[in-house]
Amino acid sequence: MLEKLIFILFALPAVVAGLAILLSTNIVRMAFWLITMLIAVAGLYFLMGAYFLGVIQILVYVGGVAVLLVFGVMLTSRQLAPKLRPGPSEALWLGAVSVVLLAGLVLSIVHAGWQQKPIGAADSPADIGHSLLGDFLGPFELASVLLLVALLGAAYLARPKVPVSRASPLARECPEGVKEATS
Amino acid sequence: MMGVTPYVILSAILLVLGLAIVISKRNAIVMLIGVEFILNAAALNLVAFSRHGIGGLSGQTAALFVIVIAAAEAVVALAIFLNFYHRIATVDIDRGDQLKG
Repeated sequence: MLEKLIFILFALPAVVAGLAILLSTNIVRMAFWLITMLIAVAGLYFLMGAYFLGVIQILVYVGGVAVLLVFGVMLTSRQLAPKLRPGPSEALWLGAVSVVLLAGLVLSIVHAGWQQKPIGAADSPADIGHSLLGDFLGPFELASVLLLVALLGAAYLARPKVPVSRASPLARECPEGVKEATS
Repeated sequence: MMGVTPYVILSAILLVLGLAIVISKRNAIVMLIGVEFILNAAALNLVAFSRHGIGGLSGQTAALFVIVIAAAEAVVALAIFLNFYHRIATVDIDRGDQLKG
């Protein structure tokens, strides 16, 4: 009973956040709702006893990805809101496709009849560490290479191609702090 | 005791919401938010089956990889969008048609 209550306590904000992002036109508020959803999913991880993953979710997603997205919003949005709301016919199609997809998924989930076991003791971070360096050693090493490539690629891509002094009028409009950070 | 079903249904709802966000919004950064929804739905599914199903610990490890890849994807995508913005002064993806033949 208590488990159900806590599940609803976390599941509801996640769904509300998605609907709010769909209906909102303010990008900063959308970033806030994204953070709400990420924390709610982390709470569900805690509820399931995957404590390590919950902590990682909050650390990496809320502390890293969400802050990065907020920075992206602040660096790009000025004359923004380019069509954040679809037209009426588009919205109709979108709603129809979404409802059909959701209905199909839920129907198949309810009738699936999965084999289930009672939930056991929480998995310790040590178990996950053994799994990472045992069965998943290959993907683990690949992930480290991927992170290095992403780091170098992002640093290269985000660099301005022209010196700031001779930059186009577009770049000259940038606030002073942005220029210093990117040059 | 709750089984795996509520979690999987919630994950399906999050997936559809993320898909709707990606389809309906033309702002590239908001599309990225939709992609985060989809990835979180997938990770939630993996963890639910790891804890309630008979999957064992592999699901949680796979969810860890999902988080790592999502972080890398967000970083590279944002770098590309910043470049895009410096060139075209907008992040409206409908304007990104310069590669069109």
